[in-house]
Amino acid sequence: MDLLIPLMVIVPIICALFLNLLHKKDRTIKAIAITLALILPLLPILASYGMHYFGGYAPLTENPTLSTGLPSLITGTALKTFHPAITYSFQGAQKLFIFILGLVAFLAIMVSLFETKRPSGVYGFMMFMGVASLTAILLTDDIFNFYVFFEIAALATVGVVLVSQVKGNYETALKYMILGGIASPLLLLGIALLLGVTGNVNITDIISSLKSGMVNPQNPVILMACGLIVFSWLYGSGLPPFHTIKSAIYSKALPHGAALLQAFSVFTFVALGIIILRIFSYLPISQMIILGVSLLAMILGITMALLQTDIKRMFGFLAVGELGYIGLGLGLGTAYGITAGLFQAVNEVLITAFLFIGFGTIYYQTGESDIRKLGGMMIKTPLVALLVLLAGFAMAGVPPLNAFQSKLMLIQASIQAGLPELGVIMILMSIVTFMTFMKAFHAVYMRPKPVELEIKNEKIPQATILALLVFLAVCILFGLFPHLVTGFLQTLSISLAGGMP
Amino acid sequence: MIIDTQLASLFTAGALIVIGIFAAVFLDNLIKKVIGLAFIGDGTNLFLIAMGYKPGGIVYIYLPGMARDWFAQNAAYPLPFAMVLTSIVIGASTMAVMLGIIMVLYKKHGSLKASKILGD
Repeated sequence: MDLLIPLMVIVPIICALFLNLLHKKDRTIKAIAITLALILPLLPILASYGMHYFGGYAPLTENPTLSTGLPSLITGTALKTFHPAITYSFQGAQKLFIFILGLVAFLAIMVSLFETKRPSGVYGFMMFMGVASLTAILLTDDIFNFYVFFEIAALATVGVVLVSQVKGNYETALKYMILGGIASPLLLLGIALLLGVTGNVNITDIISSLKSGMVNPQNPVILMACGLIVFSWLYGSGLPPFHTIKSAIYSKALPHGAALLQAFSVFTFVALGIIILRIFSYLPISQMIILGVSLLAMILGITMALLQTDIKRMFGFLAVGELGYIGLGLGLGTAYGITAGLFQAVNEVLITAFLFIGFGTIYYQTGESDIRKLGGMMIKTPLVALLVLLAGFAMAGVPPLNAFQSKLMLIQASIQAGLPELGVIMILMSIVTFMTFMKAFHAVYMRPKPVELEIKNEKIPQATILALLVFLAVCILFGLFPHLVTGFLQTLSISLAGGMP
Repeated sequence: MIIDTQLASLFTAGALIVIGIFAAVFLDNLIKKVIGLAFIGDGTNLFLIAMGYKPGGIVYIYLPGMARDWFAQNAAYPLPFAMVLTSIVIGASTMAVMLGIIMVLYKKHGSLKASKILGD
C-alpha cells in the first residue's frame, strides 16, 4: 500500500487546521500556505497506483492472516470478498483529477495571498478543507465516506463565501445551506436504501451484489435510491434546478475563491456521475437522466449567462453550462464519449479558473464586477486583457487550445453514438458561449472608461500574472497534446462503458 | 411485535422526512425552516437505525467468553449505527453554521422572515 494515497487527504486537512491556528499572523500564513499548497499537485504525481485499505483491512480473500479463525459464516460465503473498511482507489483518472485540483488550488491560494492585504487564516482553512474533501470524494470507493466529504465540501464552500465579505454573501450562503439541508439527507437516504438492499456501502461490493444475482437488480428500492442520489448530484454540482443558487455562490465569493469553488463543483459532478454510472448503468433510465439533465444545464446555463450583467454571475452560469458538455459525454455511455466528457471536465476546471482569476483582476483593481459600470481596462492592463481573451477563446473551443480538442471529441462521440443532433446543439452553445464572453470582454476592456469608474489598485500582483500564464501554458499544452490527458482516462472510460467494476 | 416496532420506526422516519421537507420549503420563518431541516436529518437517521435493527439480536460488542459463531449470528449489524453517529455530528455542525448565519442576518434585517431576507 502506498501511504501517499491517504496523505493526499490528510496533508490539506493538517494545512487547514494549522492555518486556522495562525489567525492574524499575516507573514507566517503567507509563507506556510504557499509552501503547503505547492505540495498539493506534487503528491498525486509522486504516489503510485493502487488501493489503500484503512486499518489494513483488505478483503479476506486478499488477507489470509486475518481470516484465520473466523467463523465459516464469514469465510465460507461472499462476505470474504467484501471490503470490511473504507477503501481508497488511486488509478490514472484519480491521478489526473487530483493533480488538476491541486494545481488550481495552489494557484488560487497563491493569488488570494498576494491580492489580499491581510491574508486570513480562516479563508485558507476553508480552501484547504475543500481541497481535502474533494480529494477524498475522488479517491473513495465507499459511498458513505463520499457522503461525509460531500457535506464537508458543502460547508467549506459556504465558509469560502462567508469569509469573502462580498455584499449579500450571508443571504446566499444561507439559501445554499437550506437547499443542502434537504439534498444531503436525501443522499444519505439513498445510501441507506442501497445499504438495506445490498448490505454494503462499498461501491465495488454493491456492484458485485447486483451483478452476481445476490440482490435483484430490478428491485424498485434500487430505483428509488437512484432517484435520491441523482437529486443530490444535481445539488452538489449545481445542475438545474440548482443552477441559479450555484452561480449565485460563485458571484458572492472573491474571484480566486470562485475559481476553486467551480473546481469543487466540477469534480463533485464527475465523481458522483461516475458512481451513478457504475452502480445504475444497467438501468436504461440512468443514462437518459444524465443526458436530459446535462442538455438542460447546457442550454439554461449558457443562455442565462448571456443575460447577466455581473461578470462573476455570468461566468458562474457559463460554468454550469459547461457542466452540460461533461454530462453529455458521460450520458452517451460509449468509451470515447466518456473519455471526451472527462477530458472536458479537466479543461473546464482549468479554463473557468483562468477566467475567474483573469476577470478577477478587474474586481481587484476597481472593486466592481458590474459590466455596465466598467470599461477602458485594456489601456490599464493590456497583458491581462490578452490573457483573458485567450481564456475566452479556450472556453469557446478555439484551436489549438484545450477545449477545442475535448469539444471536438464530444461532437465525434455524439455522431458515433447515433445522436448527431447533440453535436449540433453543442456547436450552437459554443457559439453562444463565445458571444457571452465577447459581450463581457468588450464591455470591460474595449469600451471607453466611464468617468465615475475609480481605480483603487493600479498594479496587479505579479503572482496573479504568473498564475494566468501557468493556466495558459497548461491550456496550450493539453490542446497540442491531448493524449497527455486522455491517456490517463481511457482505463476508467472503457470500464465504465463496458459495465463496472 | 418486534417487526411492528421496526415498521413503526420506518413509518415515523418517513413522516419526519415529509414534515421536514414541507417546513423547509413552505414555512416563512427561518428558525422553523431550520427545525424542518433537522426533522429531515433525524428522519433519515431513524430510518438507518430501523434498518440496522435485528429482531432478537444482541449489541454488537464482542465480550470475552462469547463464541465467535454465536456472536456472528446474533449481533446486530453495526454499520448503520456507526453511520448514524457520523451523520449526527455532521448534522449538528451544519445546523450550528446555519443558526450562526441566521443570527447575523437577524441583526442586519431585524426579522426572521425568509421572504424578506432571502427574497424569492
